[in-house]
Amino acid sequence: MKKMICVLLALTMIFALCACGKTAAPAEKKTFIMGIDPEYPPFSCDYLGWELKIFGVNWDEKLVQLDSMECDCVWSGMTILDSMKDAGYVISAPYYDNTQVLVVKDGAGFSSSADLAGKVVAVQLGTSGEALLQGDLADLAASFSQVVTCNSFLTCFTELEGGAVDAVFVDMPVAASYVAKNAGLAIIDEDLGAEQYGIAFRAGDAELCAQVDAAVQALVKNGTYAEIANKPEYAEIVNNLIFLSNG
Amino acid sequence: MSLMTMIVKMGEGLGKTCAIFFLTLLFSLPLGMIVALLRMSRIKAVSAVTRFFITILRGTPLMLQLLAVTYGPYYLFGATVARNKLIPVVIAFAINYAAYFAEIYRGGIESIPVGQYEAAEVLGYSKVQTFMRIILPQVVKRIMPSVTNEVVTLVKDTSIAFTVSYQEMFTIGKQIANSQTSFMPFVVAGVFYYCFNAIVDYLMGRIEKRLDYYQ
Repeated sequence: MKKMICVLLALTMIFALCACGKTAAPAEKKTFIMGIDPEYPPFSCDYLGWELKIFGVNWDEKLVQLDSMECDCVWSGMTILDSMKDAGYVISAPYYDNTQVLVVKDGAGFSSSADLAGKVVAVQLGTSGEALLQGDLADLAASFSQVVTCNSFLTCFTELEGGAVDAVFVDMPVAASYVAKNAGLAIIDEDLGAEQYGIAFRAGDAELCAQVDAAVQALVKNGTYAEIANKPEYAEIVNNLIFLSNG
Repeated sequence: MSLMTMIVKMGEGLGKTCAIFFLTLLFSLPLGMIVALLRMSRIKAVSAVTRFFITILRGTPLMLQLLAVTYGPYYLFGATVARNKLIPVVIAFAINYAAYFAEIYRGGIESIPVGQYEAAEVLGYSKVQTFMRIILPQVVKRIMPSVTNEVVTLVKDTSIAFTVSYQEMFTIGKQIANSQTSFMPFVVAGVFYYCFNAIVDYLMGRIEKRLDYYQ
């Protein structure tokens, strides 16, 4: 869910013009198109008074869809990669410290990544986990007998539950929410690969990015952010929220 | 990553793409004939049931049928999901394509004038002989263009196998496209599919020409 859906903000042409330097007429109505998971409530949208719209993207094509103006930003479970910055995308302040974990069947006898040597591991196409297994964690990937790429994390977990793979390599929040809802799975207590989540905007949309960042900060200050984050269903991830641990 | 490495890596996946292609044809072409004969059966119940299955296979997406064959047994009975995805993939593809081939065969068989059956009967041919020696050779000639159409579609449909995590050529292309943030793998994939189909087209053209013995 979180991985599949990302937040997309699309502002009207009027706003686009404003962003190009003209001052906004105060009462002008703005449209805000965003695809979002309940774990990431649209605070900034409420705060800025923009109209919210939801748009789901094909995760492995997210930046192409951003570039082609289908949306104005990519949000929710999006790992900040150096390659994005190098390509000129404007990235918001990081808001979540993420780790990658391995999910296995409960009682399968795997307690560390080393136990999975010679086993089959599934990973979702287009995720930072997949990138890690090809890059920094290539040695770990080489110890597996096979790395299977799936088109969604749901497929990854179905493969795991159905016994076709031995583990799933996935973002911690995704793992936590799936394991909480589905019995018989366990997360191996080993953080593999530290990274941060952020919001990506097109090159040149620095002003829009600053606006959203400021709105989020305002919500952190007035307590709305903490109020939402402290709900019991977010217990697994609340400690990794950067804005809360800082302040 | 150089273009050459890209081509080599995707070329490795091409073997898996070919596996779907050839195995699907191997099973669906004969299966289609059985389905076509059942569909034309004089027993009403048999033909009605066959017709119903054909409408399901043609009326739902291949992607859905793939998911049903691969994960259906797990969701329904808790059966283990196949580690070798080629098996469920080929089963789903073969059944699906058999439905299409069956309708092509039926069209071909029904296009033969009734007079030929009567003439064969007068000449003392049995029903089986009439079908095998007189009707079928003409049917094969007539349906070749439609069959070519399906075969060409099959080449492109192999990319759907990724739905059930089968790591064929296009999947590897997408992996490379992601890790390299490059559009090049899609171009390579396009060229691969085009060349594959160019060969299919050429071979089917040859077969068609060879069957054209009355011209």
